[in-house]
Amino acid sequence: MLSRVADSLYWMSRYMERTDSMMRMLKINYASSQDNPSEFSWRPVLKIFFNLDEEEISKLDDNSRKVLQYMVLDRENPNSVYNMVTLARENARGVQDNITVELWKCLNEFYHIVRGDRLTYALQHGDPITVLDTLIKECTLYFGVTDVTMFRGEGLCFMRVGKYMERAIQSAEILDVKLSDQSYDLDRPTDATYWKYLLMSISGYSLYLKRYQSGFEARNIIDQVLFNVDFPRSVLYSLNQLHRYFERLRSDRNIEGFSKVQFNIGKLRSKVQYSDVQTVSNIGLHHYLNEITRDIDDIGSTLNQYYFAYS
Amino acid sequence: MKATELFQKYPLAGNTWDEMYDKENVRLHYQNVYESLSRIPPDELGKKEELAKSLFMSQGITFTVYSSGEGIEKIFPFDIIPRIITASEWDFIDRGIKQRLHALNLFLKDVYHQQFILKDGIVPLDLIYSCPHYLREMQGVNVPHDIYVHIAGIDLIRDHDGTFYVLEDNLRTPSGVSYMIENREITKRIFPDLIPQNNVRPVTQYPNILYKNLVALSPGQVSAPNVVLLTPGIYNSAYFEHTTLARLMGIELVEGRDLVVENQKVFMKTTAGLQQVDVIYRRVDDEYLDPLVFNPESVLGVSGILSAYRKGNVAIVNAIGNGVADDKATYVYVPDMIRYYLNEEPLLKNVPTYQLSRADERDHVLKNITNMVVKKTNGSGGYGMLMGHSASDKEINEYQLEILKDPRQFIAQPVISLSNAPCYVNGKAQPRRIDLRPFALCGPNGIEIVPGGLTRVALKEGSLVVNSSQGGGSKDTWVLAQ
Repeated sequence: MLSRVADSLYWMSRYMERTDSMMRMLKINYASSQDNPSEFSWRPVLKIFFNLDEEEISKLDDNSRKVLQYMVLDRENPNSVYNMVTLARENARGVQDNITVELWKCLNEFYHIVRGDRLTYALQHGDPITVLDTLIKECTLYFGVTDVTMFRGEGLCFMRVGKYMERAIQSAEILDVKLSDQSYDLDRPTDATYWKYLLMSISGYSLYLKRYQSGFEARNIIDQVLFNVDFPRSVLYSLNQLHRYFERLRSDRNIEGFSKVQFNIGKLRSKVQYSDVQTVSNIGLHHYLNEITRDIDDIGSTLNQYYFAYS
Repeated sequence: MKATELFQKYPLAGNTWDEMYDKENVRLHYQNVYESLSRIPPDELGKKEELAKSLFMSQGITFTVYSSGEGIEKIFPFDIIPRIITASEWDFIDRGIKQRLHALNLFLKDVYHQQFILKDGIVPLDLIYSCPHYLREMQGVNVPHDIYVHIAGIDLIRDHDGTFYVLEDNLRTPSGVSYMIENREITKRIFPDLIPQNNVRPVTQYPNILYKNLVALSPGQVSAPNVVLLTPGIYNSAYFEHTTLARLMGIELVEGRDLVVENQKVFMKTTAGLQQVDVIYRRVDDEYLDPLVFNPESVLGVSGILSAYRKGNVAIVNAIGNGVADDKATYVYVPDMIRYYLNEEPLLKNVPTYQLSRADERDHVLKNITNMVVKKTNGSGGYGMLMGHSASDKEINEYQLEILKDPRQFIAQPVISLSNAPCYVNGKAQPRRIDLRPFALCGPNGIEIVPGGLTRVALKEGSLVVNSSQGGGSKDTWVLAQ
């Protein structure tokens, strides 16, 4: 596979994963903002997805519709849904012959929805949940079409590698921001809705209720988001998938690159696999989560160096 | 037959061939479509037009116009009423193009080798050496199977009596074939059953024939040659066509930056290291192909690719240097080439053409400029043309100065009216001018022309310019089986 093609598929996939994760986050946070306006703040979300300074955050913080506009449609905001879908589609456009027609059509239609006047209007005047649901559905469609139509080969492996790297980063960052709100104090008494909305925003609420049965407890939340292999958004689950799809790229023709990346993935995976909430809180949660995202970034640069470099 | 609303008051232009009407009567081969369309309520046709647009849009059959850093998707305008060609008309076109292409391939081989045609004085020597597309770098280079033009898009027009004329030979990187294929797909969607009812010959085999020809050109002794399509990239207006062809042939779509030349061999950069490339179907012009030899500023090409080509390590399609044969001044001599190489009379006529480098012809043209179309010999896309009958005095004066600066760069042709075909405009059928670009594929086993082509339409009322860059659109083009 052409290095440029692998590179584009990888990024297309990362952008779509980020878009999906961001929109779920937005939806639940918007719901929460309607529920409990006095306690609610957009600050954590704005911190996770955007490098805004304090002044900009305070300008937006109390106006949900403005935040949604900014995060969904703002062209100046590099992380807006608008820009990410455009980038994902631009990457797909350059590799149309390496994805299925169905997948291309799906991304292209999503792109036209995001740019359409109807969405702008709905976001100003309509029900935001309905708008976000439409967009989330497009994302889900993308995942489904990928799964059902994409040929099982190198291209899909690079897409999955990108997707799970992005997902691990998202989960680690969401957890970090939420914990920083609590000053990383696991014993601090917190309003149950705080954790409930966190879990809902990463689609982990039902699983939590079944698995931990206790009320909302910071340690259990950390356990689920980092270590629970049945939870598709946990860091460990994502790293296992990353490992699995990368292994399929093993080839005699790029032994050096393969073993470098494999080493990095294996090391990080072991680190997470053989940790638990207790050891992690001893090390320091912020430090630990930061290390995870840094290690994933390293995997990204190694991939870039050995697989994607073409110009 | 009673005219229905759609075709009511269809204004027949005098002294112009109409594809559908013979005076007041609908031609036999259009009758079925005429009746089918007449049965559809007019607002339903409007919906079909909308459906066609949204299908083009959602499938990304678009080109991107970049303004202020933002891309806007545009579709190439599509007219829903098909253009129909009878079996016997097609038979004539088919033979005519094959004959012409055969001669042009022989001409290119001759010009880049022994140059008999120049020595025998059939084509003037200075015409060739003054042609900017004659490439000395290609002199004496042997190309696989002596084929230079693998893909030709020869433009045909019809005069007032229906006679076909060749307007241009496009022998470099002709585009539009994806619209031949996609327009047909759209017709299938908007007019269910209409195609089988009319016994229309299919066009879907085009990519298969092309692929077969490309593989046959592979220079190496390899069982599975690596064939790629070289595109200038996503900013090119024909990018959609490049991806479509690559996808339909199952070959890799590469950009210049994906390729590298080592040891006079071409490789592509893959996730598993370098992989050799055997055949390149390039959609990058000669000038940008190799910055070491041609335009040194080019970032679309590949350094050293010409050396690999000359060495015979890679096949390039179409061959490099073909521009010398489709130069508009060389065009004048194509009928002579056919007589010289094939000892046959040309089947397809040339439009009478004046070379402005000749003093007598130039004087004639300048005197009668309001009845002339003046074109640049190396121009394309409808740019830099002077339409004498519609230009202002100022435009004519300025253009004349340009001509006198370098007359070799210009030719002139009398205004040919182009045939009309009915188009769906504002709820009514309206006559609009059209041309026809069939796509001919030349391989080691001969020339094949897929029955169909690109019919371009001048959508502006009264306009004679069909180029997409000048507000032209296209139609699905039917060739009937009998």
